[in-house]
Amino acid sequence: MTLTATGFDWVRALVHKESAIVLQPGKEYLVEARLLPIARQLGLSDVGEFVDSVRTRPSADHTRRIVEALTTNETSWFRDGDPFSALSSTVLPSLLAKRNAGERLQIWSAACSSGQEPYTIAMLLEDALPNAASRVSITATDLSREMVERTRAGRFSQLEVNRGLPAPMLIRHFTRVGSEWEVSPALRRMVTAGECNLAAPLPRMGPFDVVYLRNVLIYFDLPTKRSILSNVRTLMRPDGWLFLGAAETTLGVDDSWERVVIGRTSAYRPLKGA
Amino acid sequence: MNVRALVIDDSRAMRRIVSSILEGLGYEVQQAGHGREGLDVLETGWVPELVCVDWNMPVMDGLQFVSAVRTNPAWRSMTIMMVTSESEHTQIVRALAAGAHEYVIKPFTADAIRDKLALLGLLPQEVAL
Amino acid sequence: MSTIDTGERRRGSDARPVITELIDEGTVQSIAEDAWTALVGEDEVLVPLPGELPADVISSWVDVVGPWTGSVVLTTGRQTAADLTRALLGDASPEILDHEDVADAFGEIANVVGGNVKAALPGPSGLSLPDVGDAPTVRNPADQCRVDVLWRGEPLSISVQGALPALSQH
Repeated sequence: MTLTATGFDWVRALVHKESAIVLQPGKEYLVEARLLPIARQLGLSDVGEFVDSVRTRPSADHTRRIVEALTTNETSWFRDGDPFSALSSTVLPSLLAKRNAGERLQIWSAACSSGQEPYTIAMLLEDALPNAASRVSITATDLSREMVERTRAGRFSQLEVNRGLPAPMLIRHFTRVGSEWEVSPALRRMVTAGECNLAAPLPRMGPFDVVYLRNVLIYFDLPTKRSILSNVRTLMRPDGWLFLGAAETTLGVDDSWERVVIGRTSAYRPLKGA
Repeated sequence: MNVRALVIDDSRAMRRIVSSILEGLGYEVQQAGHGREGLDVLETGWVPELVCVDWNMPVMDGLQFVSAVRTNPAWRSMTIMMVTSESEHTQIVRALAAGAHEYVIKPFTADAIRDKLALLGLLPQEVAL
Repeated sequence: MSTIDTGERRRGSDARPVITELIDEGTVQSIAEDAWTALVGEDEVLVPLPGELPADVISSWVDVVGPWTGSVVLTTGRQTAADLTRALLGDASPEILDHEDVADAFGEIANVVGGNVKAALPGPSGLSLPDVGDAPTVRNPADQCRVDVLWRGEPLSISVQGALPALSQH
């Protein structure tokens, strides 16, 4: 094992800070096993070297990948509930009322990870709209190529589908393939996945009616958060909706957004003239 | 909020595991070893908010239990969650059609149960992570 | 001698698929790993390497009845089965484990693994209650998918084996 005690303590502190998850002593082997694929992908010889390099030269990307690799079991469907029920209850009806009949709604899941978020959105839309694939497109992006490929595949393990996915939706939208569950072709048609680094200039996408940018800004420093929010805004419709993570806010970061309360969650909308 | 749960499974180990998860979430738990024993508990007048029931059990299986429960209007208020290794698509459809509200496939983690209860509005307390 | 091919043997084997046509070792391994991760511990590893099973073993199994009929059998040393029981029960583990505790826990693991193997096969199929003791014999070596793993260094085997003997060859 190449991870040092110092390295492990640093990883523990990081994971706790970013996800509130506590890695108990004795989990060194777990950390070693989960971070090895990332270290290898980066051309480093071992986990110890990888962790030391991130400790000495902080990188939001690498930090995020470390936290994700160690909290991957935490990825759930309908995460926090309300930001998704808000889509059905408020955002979708509002958009349908304002847009022309033939206009395709565009939604962006900007940190899609293994795909639970974009397919959660797809399920809601499929249940709400007849022929949803012709009315809505969902763009799913992530920094990690591995996550993008997982999202494209739309296949999930037994343990993954147990996490926050209502059983009626499981049977309506998934079929079994071997020991796994696969999203229906209707859902897959709605979702296009690709790689995207939020901290870099963004590709010309959208314009988006709704953006889900959840639990990813936390990895960046304030100036980068500002620039990401500003770039995201340029890819949005002026009357679009932005959802952040449950503990996140634009307050203190970017005052060109208006906060709108929807039930027990909030959405952020571009302020006019800001 | 005093919430109660009935855990029905023929495996003592599984009853212990599920009960321990629910107790950790604030539930008061009773156990039964099969569907008939579960009905016996309900017939004493102890009607829980939640029932976690396995499928394959001797004497009376989970599907029979769910069907029996759904025919009794006095037990309408209970949320029934199947917790089982039965995971064929058709089986889940049958369970939901018989009246189960939710379905947890074994193997499950404590978080999986917690997530399902959150969806159902049945988390007795805010569990700080 | 009649050489008319009535197709009976061919149709017979179509109607009785062997397990290797329906599931592979990787899927069985994956099912077992999910079961261990959830029930035994998040960082539990099942290393896909064969080990030598001790003389004193115990098995638990469930029967699957459907388009394919057979059993999903777990076999390991008695001490390993006891260790597995303690790991499964965690804090709820009694001071002294008796045979019933082990049979119950080991049987439940067979239920969980078996139920998920069943769901990966063409259905619909029925699943029996678990049984514990001496493993059912392998009736047809060609109708078996077996995965041998090491759990915490101890050997454990998972055998998905058909209930019927091989068709006799003419």
